[in-house]
Amino acid sequence: MASQPLISSADFRKELQKRGGDTVSRCYQCATCSSVCQLAPDDAPFPRQQMLHAQWGLADRLAADPAVWLCHQCNDCTERCPRDAKPGDVMQTVRSLAVENLATPRFMGRLVGKASMTWPLLLGLPFVFWVLVLYAINGLQVTLDPEKGLVYDQFVPHWLIYIVFFSTTGAAGLAAMLSGLKFWKLIDNGKRRAGSFISSTISVLWEIAIHKRFDKCGATAGRKWGHFMLVWGFVGAAAASGLIIVAMYIMHEELPLPIMHPFKWVGNIGAVLLVFGGVMVLGNRLQENSQAGKATAFDNYFLGVVLTVIATGVLIEIGRFLFDPGLACWLYIIHLTAVLSLFATFPYSKFAHILYRTLAMVHERMTAKQ
Amino acid sequence: MEKVGLFLCTGCEIGQAVKTDGFEDLAKEHGAATYVEHQCLCAPDGVEMMRKAVDSGEVDGVLIAACSQREKVTEFAFDATKVASFRLGLREQVAWSQKPGEEDTQMLAEDLLRMGLARVGKMELSKPLAEEIEKTVLVVGGGLAGMQAAQAASGLGHPVVLVEKNEKLGGYLAGVKYLVPEHPPYDDVAENNIGGLIAQIEADRNIRVFTSATTEKTTGQPGKFEVSISVAGGTESIKAGAIVQATGARPYPGNKLEHLGYGKSPNVITATELEKMILDGNFACPSNQNLPKQVVFIQCAGSRDEEHLRYCSSECCAITLKQVASLHRDYPEVECAVVYKDMRCPGQLEHFYLGTQEKSGALFTRGEVSGVEGNGNGPLSVQLRDSLLGADAQIQADLVVLAVGMIPNSADSESIREMVDAKARIAKNESEKQVADATALVETLKQHEGTEILNLDYRQGPDLPVLAYDFPDSHYICFPYETRRTGIYAAGCLRAPMDAAQAIEDGWGAAMKAVQNIVSNQRGEAVHPRAGDASIADFFLQRCTQCKRCTEECPFGAINEDEKGTPEYNPLRCRRCGICLGACPERIISFPEYSVDSVASMIKAVEVPDEDEEKPRVIAFLCENDALPAMDEAAAKKIQWNPWIRIIPVRCLGAVNTVWIADSLAGGIDGILLIGCKRGDDYQCHYIKGSELANTRMTNVQETLDRLSLESDRVQVHELARNEFERIPKIFDEFMEKIEEVGPNPYKGF
Repeated sequence: MASQPLISSADFRKELQKRGGDTVSRCYQCATCSSVCQLAPDDAPFPRQQMLHAQWGLADRLAADPAVWLCHQCNDCTERCPRDAKPGDVMQTVRSLAVENLATPRFMGRLVGKASMTWPLLLGLPFVFWVLVLYAINGLQVTLDPEKGLVYDQFVPHWLIYIVFFSTTGAAGLAAMLSGLKFWKLIDNGKRRAGSFISSTISVLWEIAIHKRFDKCGATAGRKWGHFMLVWGFVGAAAASGLIIVAMYIMHEELPLPIMHPFKWVGNIGAVLLVFGGVMVLGNRLQENSQAGKATAFDNYFLGVVLTVIATGVLIEIGRFLFDPGLACWLYIIHLTAVLSLFATFPYSKFAHILYRTLAMVHERMTAKQ
Repeated sequence: MEKVGLFLCTGCEIGQAVKTDGFEDLAKEHGAATYVEHQCLCAPDGVEMMRKAVDSGEVDGVLIAACSQREKVTEFAFDATKVASFRLGLREQVAWSQKPGEEDTQMLAEDLLRMGLARVGKMELSKPLAEEIEKTVLVVGGGLAGMQAAQAASGLGHPVVLVEKNEKLGGYLAGVKYLVPEHPPYDDVAENNIGGLIAQIEADRNIRVFTSATTEKTTGQPGKFEVSISVAGGTESIKAGAIVQATGARPYPGNKLEHLGYGKSPNVITATELEKMILDGNFACPSNQNLPKQVVFIQCAGSRDEEHLRYCSSECCAITLKQVASLHRDYPEVECAVVYKDMRCPGQLEHFYLGTQEKSGALFTRGEVSGVEGNGNGPLSVQLRDSLLGADAQIQADLVVLAVGMIPNSADSESIREMVDAKARIAKNESEKQVADATALVETLKQHEGTEILNLDYRQGPDLPVLAYDFPDSHYICFPYETRRTGIYAAGCLRAPMDAAQAIEDGWGAAMKAVQNIVSNQRGEAVHPRAGDASIADFFLQRCTQCKRCTEECPFGAINEDEKGTPEYNPLRCRRCGICLGACPERIISFPEYSVDSVASMIKAVEVPDEDEEKPRVIAFLCENDALPAMDEAAAKKIQWNPWIRIIPVRCLGAVNTVWIADSLAGGIDGILLIGCKRGDDYQCHYIKGSELANTRMTNVQETLDRLSLESDRVQVHELARNEFERIPKIFDEFMEKIEEVGPNPYKGF
């Protein structure tokens, strides 16, 4: 392969061990992991090789390795590893380092990558932002509509939402695109990419939509439905957000939409899926800790934000009728904080797996033997 | 013996296989004084009856026709100094392996009885060996194994003399800070407690310790060794009953490993040098005394390598694990990487391997080191090929540690002897060619100059003979600590590369062997493998031609020789294998119960049918150690074999005198089979050289047969492992086919 000799890097290995891949040193390369992995392709099995590269600290090799992302962390490898080297955890750590190293700009990657220390900043900054902005606009005072009671857009005006979220998502989207491109070039490892990008992407998206690969997981088979519901819950929530804009500006309906409005139901179904999915994911995390893999700060930050978004989202919908308006508004601020944090850190947090794993799967499909 | 009693057991199907009606007449006809049949001879009344016959003086020789000599040993044991006894394995050789009631079966049984009667008739009583036996155990080498042996022997009530070459006791471990773990959970280094053992040894009143001392001369034989110990300012003379040699091992020298950078950069060191740094607490790069950031260990440095040590020293992996763990403990900022061919961590060491990997986070990676780049004081780069990475790879290093193997601190006795002999030839100056050859030989052996350790005054050289890779272990499959010198036992890394825990066990084992040897000598009995044998060899020296075959061929150096070459037999060095008896062309060496004459008379006792009866006869000499038990096992499984074969158990195939072959052929026997243990590098011969010597001797016999126009195929030598019982009938059948092919012995009837 490479004509240049590979040089071991103790620094990368140490970083990896610090971040949650400490068990990598236990690996003695028996390849049980690669043999039990149902997701690894026959011609390029993983994760044995990735474990070796991780031991050697070959950061460049790992960064350019699509297999790192084809892994869905089923943890079949971790379960069967005779030396408890936890390849699943190591792969996860390698991915978190990849997210950090591919980040545009890099400092954002480092900021989120070190979530164990920076999480108060990552959550506190948006919170302070919302509090200050809303204080400037309405002095944090809630005015109740005599007919409808609490109306959130009277507390946080829509224009503010648009400015904040369109700019944030735009910036994050741009950053993600740049990182995605960088990644797409890196994993172009000389295997010829055949077939069209578009059709490959469509089939990959379909595969993701039905969670086909999760079916192959043994050790964490139960994980499929939690993740499935979260994905579709988010799709529902995103669709509801879009539909509400349609309702407002095209159908000229007044907010809040009545409870029985079909657009509302799209969001509500999404919310139900999110709640169930969130509970399942959290349950998996807490119950079968060994199977689900080690929870690092990188994971916990992302999961924490997602669960906060879901919990506060549901609470504010009910809270409009049930809670004290002051409490409901503070919950709304927390909700917006979490959503902002989630969107702003999309390319730098575990959320970025949407981008990289999809690209890796598209690459796999395009380079697959016909 | 004059009054032989034949005691025949009819139990275990013997009575059903043969008709015993005519046996009494047969016995009387062949000189038996008494004939008794018993249904179960090994039962208390049977044993009692035989004892009474012996005690009353009714018989002085006992022939027991029952089961194999390996069965019912206690029941049928007799004091060899009072009565001669011999066992016929009728059960195995007749009842269980032949068709009952057949004519051939009956003939076989009758032949065996005649053979047994002839044998006992020629047997003599053993003379008790009354020697003053010294109880002291001499331990040479004051390392862990030696000290442990000294402590064990002392604890068993024997005075001990411990000789150590260095100023202080402790050996290798005196220079070590931490040990490989010996107790659960086995995952981290252990503190070295050698100081405690040294203090115990020094406080033990039963142990005399000589440091800065060497064994200058060792004369005599087990039970009565006289040892001169060279100490500071003089010589001490001591007596010893047995010796434990635990002289340890030394590391493979780094300067032979230039291809791994040793000598090119001061920052390439051996594991031994690192060990000293760890002990002294001054771990640093030799070039600049800075703490290295990255240390790379190279495993199998000069081991498992055709050009260096060909063997695995088995401990370097554990030592490297220990050093990585030690460095992590004492210098946690140091990063370690280990390049190995295979990590060999048997048993509990797997826990240590895992624990070390986990605690230190070191890189353990498989690969072959193709070189170490970097000269002088600069940084180093370890080059790898054949790594699992599938490409050439490098690991940067500030310090490289070579995990070198062990070389035993042994002296190659046979080579030293060869060198001494060559020097003697040069001194004699008989012919120019002889001197030139001897000079060349001395040159090739000069590395053995001055390597003597025990300085034994044995004809065959001054030390323990070494086997593969210079380890003086005797290779006895089932008998560690044994060497080829009776009463001298090897322990510790001298015997095989090992760790501290094994060395402790070895010290104990060798000490117990030494004590066993002393106790056996006090009883006048041989040690393993003929433990309990009270007979000693008799040399009829008037007829000796000083051919030196016995002194050369004795595997145990039991026979010295005087200036003329007359053998000087040392019975306490003797293992009673009978190889000297097999070697002697004048047939002057015999044992009371096993002599050239007594076995020859067995051969002559076989009744050889006439040629037209078409019943060929074959004598099979079976080694008692592997072949005979294998045959017994085949019989126990009721595997049948040819009834024309007459089996004579021998002490060793080396204890077969060629005159027996001549006697057999002259007596009309059609063929002779010799079945012994495996020979060669992985030999199983209990007397090391027996099968090999038998093979050489029989090749000579076959050449003679060819010269006499007698088919050489009539004599065959086979090797058999103890577990290959199923081959016994096959060997017999194939040999009978061969005999049928070559036809009857032309001497038949003469």
